[in-house]
Amino acid sequence: MDILEELAKIVRTRPEKLKEQQEKGIKIVGYIGRFVPEELIYASGAIPYLLCRGGQPEPPDAVIPYMLRFMSPYARSQIGYHLLGIDPVVPMLDLVVVQCSDCHESRLADLFEYFELPTLRLGIPPDWKKSLSQDYYYKGLTRLREKLENLTGNKISDEKLKESIDSINKIRDLLSKINLLRKKPPPIIGGDDFIRLNHYSFYCEPEELVRKLTDLYEQLQKSESLFSQEAPRLLLAGHVIGVGDYVVPKLIEDSGAVVAVEFLDEGVRHCAWNVKTDGDLMTNLSETYYLERTPPSIFQPAWEERAEFIQKLIGDFNIDGVVWYGLSFEEIYSLESSIISKVMDEMNIPFLKLESSYEYSREAVGPLTTRVESFIESVKQRRI
Amino acid sequence: MAKDINEDFLRLTGFEEDEISQYLPEWRKACEKLGLTEEDIKFATKEQLPAHFAVELDGIRKLLGCFVKETIDLTKASEYKERGVKVVYGILPATLHFYYALKLTAPDKVFVSFPDIFLTMVMNGFFHKLAPYLEEAEKAGIPYGCRHCALNKTRYATHRLGIIPSPDISWIWGFVCDEGPKTDEFIRIYHDPEWKTYITRMPHDQPLGTVEDEVIDRVEYLANQMRDGFEAAQKEIGIKVAEEKIKEVIAIWQRYAAKLSELALLMTADPQPLGAVSGRLFWEGLFTPLNTGIEQMEKALDITIKEVKQRVANKEGILPEGAPKLLIYSIHPTVPWVAKIFEENGVGIPLSEFFILTKKQLKPSTFEDPYMAAAESWLRTSGMVNPGYQAEQICEKIETHKFDGMVFGLMDFDRWLGSSHRLLARIVEEKTKLPVFYIEGDNWDDRDYSPEALRTRIESICEIMKMRKA
Repeated sequence: MDILEELAKIVRTRPEKLKEQQEKGIKIVGYIGRFVPEELIYASGAIPYLLCRGGQPEPPDAVIPYMLRFMSPYARSQIGYHLLGIDPVVPMLDLVVVQCSDCHESRLADLFEYFELPTLRLGIPPDWKKSLSQDYYYKGLTRLREKLENLTGNKISDEKLKESIDSINKIRDLLSKINLLRKKPPPIIGGDDFIRLNHYSFYCEPEELVRKLTDLYEQLQKSESLFSQEAPRLLLAGHVIGVGDYVVPKLIEDSGAVVAVEFLDEGVRHCAWNVKTDGDLMTNLSETYYLERTPPSIFQPAWEERAEFIQKLIGDFNIDGVVWYGLSFEEIYSLESSIISKVMDEMNIPFLKLESSYEYSREAVGPLTTRVESFIESVKQRRI
Repeated sequence: MAKDINEDFLRLTGFEEDEISQYLPEWRKACEKLGLTEEDIKFATKEQLPAHFAVELDGIRKLLGCFVKETIDLTKASEYKERGVKVVYGILPATLHFYYALKLTAPDKVFVSFPDIFLTMVMNGFFHKLAPYLEEAEKAGIPYGCRHCALNKTRYATHRLGIIPSPDISWIWGFVCDEGPKTDEFIRIYHDPEWKTYITRMPHDQPLGTVEDEVIDRVEYLANQMRDGFEAAQKEIGIKVAEEKIKEVIAIWQRYAAKLSELALLMTADPQPLGAVSGRLFWEGLFTPLNTGIEQMEKALDITIKEVKQRVANKEGILPEGAPKLLIYSIHPTVPWVAKIFEENGVGIPLSEFFILTKKQLKPSTFEDPYMAAAESWLRTSGMVNPGYQAEQICEKIETHKFDGMVFGLMDFDRWLGSSHRLLARIVEEKTKLPVFYIEGDNWDDRDYSPEALRTRIESICEIMKMRKA
């Protein structure tokens, strides 16, 4: 797993590299959310930077003077680090593209604007089955394209866009292949590492990343799993594991289980869906990003389709139990967790709901550990 | 005189003697369905209503009576449905015209209601007995700890408890929060596959300060969403509404809104002639469709305006002359004690910002098309737009009505309307240089934020205001 460490090192030094690039005149575009296509940003000649941090309680708390405290700690974190003066990248961004698919993201965009950070909102209508909404998203992407062209002074040609779509498709393909290796028991790579790998993939130059992922895939095929054959195979579901929020996946795997697959809306690449490179590329981007992938929880209707997808993952990855990782005050995921819990009950699959406000003090982790360990123990008992 | 507490209750709520005998059996039946006991009726009659509503005024008693009649009617919704009447629900906030146009088109074939807000208003405002509904929802999939909205819990719980039937169509607007429409999806999947929903939504993606009603693309998108939703609702229940009907409804509501504006002006007289909660209850007519119609509420409003005018002429007030007055974002009759604590401490909160209009809102629409007009009107409304534009409108209202400051908050349950208040408080304070306060609380559900919990905060605000005004 030296490659993971190499990637981690690249990510750690990313802010300095971005600064160097910016000094050479390259624009740095921050973005929030799965509906903002990196492909467009790369095609404009700018460098994308995903804002997706989480896992610490102080940044969301820093936002409370400006926002209701019963808001997502994840959304609040995206500006919280900046308000604390400890975000090395946000102050240097030439543009922040914020997807507005729910109230939490839209309020986050309000704060970016209030603090005079250069912001562009990408509206995502949750009623995704309507042609009205599909057109709305397409128009939003067109506006984003124009904005990027104006920002960088570069025309986004079809050729450039195709090149960048190809490049991101390659990354998705490789991640998908690595993910599929996890089907075999015991998984060759656990959830803690796979989530980190996904995170690293957002902060590396695509060409370098493709090389590293190719090497990693080859290496993994030859490696032996570090997990025991008896380790329960868990599915980790929820909204997002933010960059830096690794306590829960690590705890699960330190407690004798393995996260064999994830079902997360944000912070991972949805690598089962590639963007087509023939025909109208903007339409292809719009269709893949908005229509083809499993809908996020906020979409309506979504929950039946999502429950079916989880059921499929349970079958495909031979899952023994589901851990729902909820974030405090995320009202939509809270409702969905009740539905998934019911579906799991009907399937006789053990289900554990955890909730985090990113409070991982020693006092908070103690009870969390007990819950996770008890759950894993009960799943193990069922396997006997 | 009868000793039956239910009769006393109906009398207190403005029922005429000949109406009482007609409505009493129905009211008793409604109480049984809602889970109201004689003790609850006694509490409302002897304590809650006299303490918080101006029941000495004939108009206010009649207004309370409108709520009672609508409550009775709402508890009969299942019977209506069994008889083939189409049940149409919606949630706050939405443009009422469409729901009323359905009702006007086919009065005997359609039942319209926003059942959650209505029942929340009556069950907590009159009887302080919403908690059993909330607890019902909390034990069946809508967890307590996440601060879910009490309205959504009430909609779900009252269906679970058999108080309201599943709708033929629940046309849900998600122009504000996400949880409202998603709760309908939740109800359908988790509890009742018969709960049919059509959603109408729009992203919050306008930059701070955008005058949204002047962005033609946005007005058009919203109008198209409204048209699409209304057509879907009509198709689902098999009733076709002519555009003329929508225009007819708009005319009725403009008339009602004009009267409300008159009441709003009277409410800001010095001394303040009427308690905030009593006046505020009339605004429900602008936001919640009544299956029993608006006519009775309009009559109650006419009487109240006359009575309040008399008070103004007599210089009669609920507060001393010159008392400080604050604009409050929204005061709800569901927690009437909030206004009472302000008023007991010598500070008026006569009007809710959410419900009063700017000069632009009073102007006729730019558009003939009823959908474009409704969309434009929506985007002229402060609570529906980005906080920059909203703050501009709030500042205008403060200036127009000469408020001494403003109170935000009490909207903790709402990830849209409530989530911007701290930011708005900063912007409005910067612009007006007036004191602006924020109260953490919940306008629907006072289990966590009780009078005891909020009294100190409100008293401190009142002390500051009185010192500034002295």
